[in-house]
Amino acid sequence: MALAAASLELRGIVKHYPALTALRGVDLTLLPGEIHALCGENGAGKSTLARIAAGKVQATEGTVAASGPVGLVHQHFELVDRLRVWENVVLGREPRRGGRIDVAAARERVRDLSRRYGLAVDPDAVVETLPVGIAQRVEILRELSKEPSVLVLDEPTAVLAATEIETLFATLHALAARGAAILVITHKLQEVIGHADRVTVIRGGLIVSTGPTSETSLGAIARAMVGGDVPPLSARAATVPGPAFVAANVSAGAGAHALRDASFEVRGGEIIGIAGVEGNGQAALCDAIAGILAYDGEMRLGERALPPDPAGRLAAGLRVIPQDRRREALVVAWSVVENVALGDHARTPLRRGWNVDRGARDAAARRVVERFDVRTPSIRTSVDSLSGGNQQKIVVGRALACEPKFLVAYQPTRGVDIGAAALLQSRLIEARNAGAAVLLVSFELDEILELSDRVLVMYRGKVAGEFERASFDRAHIGALMAGGA
Amino acid sequence: MNLRRAAIFAAVLGALAAGAMLLAGANPIAGFAALARGALGGERQISETLVQTTALLFPSLAVAFAFRAGLFNIGAEGQLIAGGLLAGLVGAAFVAPGWIAIPVVLAAGAIGGGLWGGVAGVLRARFGGNEVIATLMLNVIAALLANYLVVGPLHAPDVAGPETAELPASSWLPVLLPHTRLTIAFVFALALAGFLRYVFARTVFGYELRAAGEAPHAAARAGIDLRRTALLAMTLSGAIAGFGGATLVAGVLHRFNVELSPGYGFIAIAVALVGGLDPLWIVLAAFAFGILQSGSLTMQALAHVPKDVVSVVEGLAILGLSARRFARRSPDAA
Repeated sequence: MALAAASLELRGIVKHYPALTALRGVDLTLLPGEIHALCGENGAGKSTLARIAAGKVQATEGTVAASGPVGLVHQHFELVDRLRVWENVVLGREPRRGGRIDVAAARERVRDLSRRYGLAVDPDAVVETLPVGIAQRVEILRELSKEPSVLVLDEPTAVLAATEIETLFATLHALAARGAAILVITHKLQEVIGHADRVTVIRGGLIVSTGPTSETSLGAIARAMVGGDVPPLSARAATVPGPAFVAANVSAGAGAHALRDASFEVRGGEIIGIAGVEGNGQAALCDAIAGILAYDGEMRLGERALPPDPAGRLAAGLRVIPQDRRREALVVAWSVVENVALGDHARTPLRRGWNVDRGARDAAARRVVERFDVRTPSIRTSVDSLSGGNQQKIVVGRALACEPKFLVAYQPTRGVDIGAAALLQSRLIEARNAGAAVLLVSFELDEILELSDRVLVMYRGKVAGEFERASFDRAHIGALMAGGA
Repeated sequence: MNLRRAAIFAAVLGALAAGAMLLAGANPIAGFAALARGALGGERQISETLVQTTALLFPSLAVAFAFRAGLFNIGAEGQLIAGGLLAGLVGAAFVAPGWIAIPVVLAAGAIGGGLWGGVAGVLRARFGGNEVIATLMLNVIAALLANYLVVGPLHAPDVAGPETAELPASSWLPVLLPHTRLTIAFVFALALAGFLRYVFARTVFGYELRAAGEAPHAAARAGIDLRRTALLAMTLSGAIAGFGGATLVAGVLHRFNVELSPGYGFIAIAVALVGGLDPLWIVLAAFAFGILQSGSLTMQALAHVPKDVVSVVEGLAILGLSARRFARRSPDAA
């Protein structure tokens, strides 16, 4: 293949940031019509490479040559939350009639795009009301509306349900068939094997392998990413289940994503997996349990009713790993120490009278850093400068540090690389073995089936089915998730 | 905030001041010389600069306290007036030995300011009202209400101006230097700055305030009651400003006058932002602005630079710092 045919040509890319070097001399060529997977652990330099390819960030050294516009779908979406879908899609390139925006044409453009690519979305919905999975569609539509010759997607499937992932890849195949080059950054190796023509693995800012997908294997890619073998999950110990959390006829939230009349029980020493497509009431359930969303119905922790406010629930031994780690779980401007303390700060041992106990705090932070392998220069480093995976390790580590009676984990391994995900999953199993009741919400059915003792399927805010570990039926669960019987 | 940034900021502000002086048709070098002479030229000048520093420091710390909790309290002026008014009324009526009268007068100031800030806090906590608008409006209400009360219903019989009767001398704050207006209020202000730094860095309450200010969603999930922190932050912020008003009454004017403050509560916003909301840097910033305040009249008299140049520079400082707050949210943060 001649070099002139390349859609995107990166040569000798080096990128220095003040505190670190993200890329140390990367060559990457994308050909028209190919789907190219870029794999690597958190902090390997994938997102930086994506931004440089799309021209959003200037490389310190090296050259970037593209044959046409480069679209970039961000890992953390870059949408204007307060605007409508069509406004976001046409932003900066609004169709005009006279001096005004041609609203009808803009809406039609969005409808046309979503028809063409099979990405259903209401053009008039306000973005902040959309669940993450749908918001991502808007981001993809916006980039597609630029008719790019190269489309870069940074972790596009991290928040999507199985059916949505299939739809997305169908879209990407269709785009590739028209001659676009697609670069997909992902952790999910099944997707790489299933859909990519070529795969490149990056580690520590360097390309460690690149070649046709047909000539490699899942295990080989994983080893190249980790630089060794992926650790096995912790073993499940036999536990004596006792009642820990009971929800009876709980309804919360409003609209399409509300929770409706859910009843279930989570026993100590077991992991209950909530299987379902995003936007079927899982977020409302977690927020109601956390104490920040009003609900009808009854919830009990142990023998007692759940205390009314979040502080009381924390004190009673409840921990919730929320959906949005940067907004709801962390104070990103703060250090690791101050973040590890958050939520336990008002109780001993982290407080002493009016004051914070700085020694106890430092010790708590060191324990989380050590036990969860948080890669940080120091416990005084600001969380903002850590990679997403390491931020997530802090969130999960903090929740498990107090040995909670009941843990609600919403997508605990979202956007986390293979090695770190295995570590977090092992820690969840260990908490279960130690007697904690765990409610696991995940949009990755594999994770649910791997970790859960029982699975509840949620569809349109209701519990649509329940399965014991001995009788997991993947096809049946998948059908219930999609609204079937 | 660090030394390098502080130096850059001082340089930029100096350049702006020089430009403003040139525009006003004056010689900037003569202007700065006169400013320095007026503010630092002798014991009397330095003590007067420290009086201004003290007057600015209380409302600046008040503003910073609320800002750290995520509340844009621009009502320090009104809270200062409310505190000063109550201190003046209580002080004029209450005759007792100094060791009891002075604490009572200062407490009255803190209560007056605290109530005034608390109104905005209640509006915010109970009804979700915007504290910017509430505190801005409460400034106007405080000024007009104070004027009405001292001229009208609470008018003291043997007083001519819009002011309360004079406080008995036992209620006056002790002076640090004889024949100056520099009182122990200066020491109180420095101690308060140190205390607030301690509160933010070491106490659970300070930690909760900062969490509520930095990341309200995360704070709420961590069991921090946002309504309680909003109410407390606004009340305590008001109390600090009101305490400052009381020190002006008991230390400088010895009565409440409607012209108690030439806008200390507004300049305080600039001081707090220049100081990066850190109490120790705010002390330095208040000193810098104190120099401008106390030297401006000399500058006008000797170098024919209108003293309004000082207001222009203060305004530019606020403008520049607000722009920086927005600029920080740049997209290329990775």
